[in-house]
Amino acid sequence: MIIRSLRIGAAAGALLALAACAGIKAVPAGPYVHGGTSMTVGRTWTDLGLVPGSPKALRMLTIDGPALNTLFVIDGLKDGEYIVRATSKERPTPTYRRGISPSEQVEFLADSTAAIGFQRVETDNIRPVTVSGVDGVRVDLTAQTAAGLNVSGTAQLVEVGGRLYILFYVAPTEHYFEATRAEVEAIMGSAKITG
Amino acid sequence: MSRPIVRAALSSILAASIATSTVTPAFAQRAVGQRPDIATDEGGLWAQSDKAETEAKTKAELNRDPELTPYVRGVACKVAAEYCGEVRVYVLDRPYFNAAMAPNGYMEVWSGLLLRARSESELAFVLGHEVTHFAQGHSLASWRKTKSAANAGMVFMLVGGSIVGGLLYLGVLSSLFAFDRTQETEADALGLARAVKAGYDPSAAAAIWRSLGEETAASDFPKTRRSDTRASIFNTHPITPDRIAALDALAAGAATPSVGERARYRAQIRRFLPAWLTDDLRRRDYGQTLHLIDRLAADGEDLGVLEFYKGEAFRRRRQEGDLEKAKVAYAAAATRPDAPVAVWRELGDVEARLGLTTEARTAYETYLAKAGDADDRWLVEASLKKINGGAAS
Repeated sequence: MIIRSLRIGAAAGALLALAACAGIKAVPAGPYVHGGTSMTVGRTWTDLGLVPGSPKALRMLTIDGPALNTLFVIDGLKDGEYIVRATSKERPTPTYRRGISPSEQVEFLADSTAAIGFQRVETDNIRPVTVSGVDGVRVDLTAQTAAGLNVSGTAQLVEVGGRLYILFYVAPTEHYFEATRAEVEAIMGSAKITG
Repeated sequence: MSRPIVRAALSSILAASIATSTVTPAFAQRAVGQRPDIATDEGGLWAQSDKAETEAKTKAELNRDPELTPYVRGVACKVAAEYCGEVRVYVLDRPYFNAAMAPNGYMEVWSGLLLRARSESELAFVLGHEVTHFAQGHSLASWRKTKSAANAGMVFMLVGGSIVGGLLYLGVLSSLFAFDRTQETEADALGLARAVKAGYDPSAAAAIWRSLGEETAASDFPKTRRSDTRASIFNTHPITPDRIAALDALAAGAATPSVGERARYRAQIRRFLPAWLTDDLRRRDYGQTLHLIDRLAADGEDLGVLEFYKGEAFRRRRQEGDLEKAKVAYAAAATRPDAPVAVWRELGDVEARLGLTTEARTAYETYLAKAGDADDRWLVEASLKKINGGAAS
């Protein structure tokens, strides 16, 4: 519920989400481990902890606040799990299915991004990546907040042992995305799956 | 008798029918150019409507196509007639059936409605229905009823609490008006009269309400199938069989809609079909999407695009037998000149999953031949390599 109501660019929603997060903590430069996902961050981030209503697999890291930059760390979704929880049976949200193709993984991420509340979600520049010796995909995204603010994103998806591991970074296109892109690229390049 | 003469005659008959029917306007028709004093309750309602309209101008969902909104506004203007100068249309790309008109003349038309209208006549009837709510002051009447039951400040707080994603939708505001049965019946009858007077097909009114009922019945979800059909996701009063019967009676004897009229309407929305169908698939009610696609395909146009999205619906739904159905739909699309290139990639994926390696190889190779420098080319090459047993193709 909380993640569904969160709209990047909607300060009130972001504040609500922050208030509801359990276990907010600073992440100093160096190794960061969430479940079977490990990576190295080059500067201090804030881990918003477990966001109520979202799967335990998900963590949100931010530098300047979730409205300005968010790195979603999704540690091994199992078959049938989601990024965004449905509010009713009649309004289902995307669920991960074990064994889906790489293009369906990208589709799952794009649809989940739309389910968060972003509009006009488009994917671009799908390219190969190898994480811990496993082939995966990198993809860039563009979207808009409900209020019309342009946002950019980049993501890395890899399926290991029938579980989907995602790093997904999103920030306003103007200034914030490019300002942190090098840091995010380094983080994604350092990622390892040990799960 | 030529169609214009038939329509002129029908218009007179309809006007007479409505005049003698049980539909009695609940409110005096508004004066053209009317603007209330800001100090009045109606002025407050206008202020809320002005706010919603201001927000609409920056919404991400606002369709900024230079031709679509003027086209829809043109249809709205025809049925609004004397109020044409007061109507300001905003098309929003939202995959739900909805149109609404605020007391200040701000009209929202959602892409879910444009995708479901089969002709300009159907669109005209729905817009005529909304213009009638506007012309007859239904919003104000309902607003006063709501206010009498609750403190006005509390009601506006409710509006604030209903803001979706930080934005005030006209539909949310409209939902507080809660049009009653009498108002909806009046909007049906007078909306139809407006559409017919503007030269539109009378049978379109019942047709679009009926098709909405059929789409409700086609839902994947039992609760949706059991629910009433509504002309808007915000409406409180359902489209009941007696409302459809009343429209049928008013249109009795009218000629059937011409294929030519539907073709002209399709030409207006054709370029939006891929984006709007993608949005519709994201609702994840595949039964309804499949019903919608069949309706769109009924006139035999855009079959390459429509069969492709039919395949997409089956592929995403993943019920027993859906993979085979997706294959059939993709294969049908692939025979059409307007098929998107992606159809060969998806067909290859489905055929590979079904173990049809020879067919999958052909589909992948066709995709690679047609896709140029598509950024997912390497993915298809990898799939091809996989079904070739690891050897390069």
